[in-house]
Amino acid sequence: MKTAFVSTILTAVLALSASASATTYPISITDDLGRKVTLKAEPKRVISVLPSTTETLCAIGACDKLVGIDDYSDFPQQVTKLPKVGGLYNPNIEAIVALKPDVVIVSQYGKLAEPLTQAGITVIAINPETYDEVFSKTLLLGRLVNREAQAKALVLKMRQDIARIEILTKNVVKKPTAYYEIDPTPYSIGPNSFMGVLLTKAGARNIIPASMGDFPKVDPEFIVKANPQLILGVDAKTVAARAGWNTTAAVKSGRVLSLPAGLDTILSRPGPRLPAALRGLAKLVHPELFR
Amino acid sequence: MTVVHGPRPTAVPTRRLLPRTLALLAVLLASVVLAVGLGSVFIPPGEVLGALWRGLLSLGSSAELSGNDVIVWQIRLPRVVMGLVVGACLSVCGGAFQGVFRSPLADPYLLGVASGGALGATVGIVAGWPRSSIPLSALAFALAAVGTTLALSREGRRFPPTRLILAGVVVGSVLSAFTTFLILRGEDRARQVLAYTLGDLGFSGWRDVVTVLPYAVVGCGVLMALARALDTLQLGDLTARSLGVPVERLRLLVVVAASAATAAAVAYVGIIGFVGLVVPHLVRLVWGAGHRVLLPISALAGAALLVLADLLSRTTILSQVGVVTTLLGGPFFLWLLARGRSD
Repeated sequence: MKTAFVSTILTAVLALSASASATTYPISITDDLGRKVTLKAEPKRVISVLPSTTETLCAIGACDKLVGIDDYSDFPQQVTKLPKVGGLYNPNIEAIVALKPDVVIVSQYGKLAEPLTQAGITVIAINPETYDEVFSKTLLLGRLVNREAQAKALVLKMRQDIARIEILTKNVVKKPTAYYEIDPTPYSIGPNSFMGVLLTKAGARNIIPASMGDFPKVDPEFIVKANPQLILGVDAKTVAARAGWNTTAAVKSGRVLSLPAGLDTILSRPGPRLPAALRGLAKLVHPELFR
Repeated sequence: MTVVHGPRPTAVPTRRLLPRTLALLAVLLASVVLAVGLGSVFIPPGEVLGALWRGLLSLGSSAELSGNDVIVWQIRLPRVVMGLVVGACLSVCGGAFQGVFRSPLADPYLLGVASGGALGATVGIVAGWPRSSIPLSALAFALAAVGTTLALSREGRRFPPTRLILAGVVVGSVLSAFTTFLILRGEDRARQVLAYTLGDLGFSGWRDVVTVLPYAVVGCGVLMALARALDTLQLGDLTARSLGVPVERLRLLVVVAASAATAAAVAYVGIIGFVGLVVPHLVRLVWGAGHRVLLPISALAGAALLVLADLLSRTTILSQVGVVTTLLGGPFFLWLLARGRSD
């Protein structure tokens, strides 16, 4: 109750101050490739080469600035008709140049920055990797495209939505130990990774200790020893076929759950649908809270 | 007596072979003991022995294992046995290939088995097939790749080595191009494919071991039975033929036997590089080049190397066994090479 009240006031205050805070150009920032980039004026034609960036831009009211997106951007619906410029690793550079963008927003991965910069196009690398960066990079994108107020409002809204779910999951008495498999090699997630933070917030106890890193390759015997009560991200049939795994609590109680297709996608995108991802995950971990 | 005795170009006296072989056996035994005893989960030696005993007992009965017994008997031990089988198999096949092609650069993947297996696995992974069907897909593609190489290099009833090698390289490159294409299309699964390509023993259970074992035993058995003929072949095709070796049939038999064994290994544990290339060379430096000694000793050495490499891969940050085999085998090989020169 109190949180809701405070946040309402915050929203109001921000909305008031927002009208005054338009970005003043030129604006210079250091991007995720460590390059100093300057935007001389408000960008009118933007290309996003990362699905999460596409979603963020649209969520802060800059969807109409987009003139091109990568092959994997598919949300919100209205971007699907935009020209596709390939992916991070197989970009169609000619198509990007032909669209005459004011700025191309890439990730620190791939090697788009160099050829595009040489072609005289402004390139900014922005890709949130940690939970906190989702918010800070949203604000940064807001400043860059002159949608600062909307970005602040979005961040506030996301934090509210997350708080609503956390109120439920935080006070649960029985938090299951969980193993979250991101691919069947098997790779899992550490508690400090983006998805690891969400898993903890969803009310699970990650069996992977922080010391193993953010995306560790895990030895199967470690998982059997840890004996998780919940296995996420892989289907029950695959798990049952693995030697020794049928002795884990998760298999015995039938708590082996693959992620629904939609949830899988939003969990892999550190963008504005973060609260929805958390909600989907929390529903899997604690179905009893969401009846 | 019409038996042809193979030459032994760098013959090592028998009295010096025995101590070396005993030393190798000791290393092999030590690696197996270490590999079963150590892992990412610490289990006291006494408990490991108890687990092995209870595991053996559970074979006859329907008794369920629990706790650390499961880890030792169902996860660690099959993994070690798979390491032994695959390490031995790759090394024998590598030795036989180097002999039959008379090329020091030959390895078991020469004729496209690895690229075929990689493509088969990638198709399955990118298409999202159930994990259990990936090895079958890899095996089918691996065998098909070698079949294609053989078909392309055929000249009447002959399979000239140069044509075989060239066809193998081309088939391998074309298949790798397909694999790369698929990886780029299914970007988010790139790491899975990469992990497969680097080789991994992680999920080897008893069922996998039992599946690979017949291929390995038959394939390597055939190769070892052909050791004497391989020795003779080192004198050149013409001489070997005049000494009564059916060169063409020998070559085909070696290729088919080695490829079947390698394909099964690749399908279940991925592409573990370097073992098949370097272990035979290593053995040749110490035990001599005669195939009757080379092939069995290579089996022992390869088994020891892979089991040790896998142990390091699951207990250190070098989490891929293929990376470890190279880091372990490479410097050792160079040291042997340098030592040989100063003699």
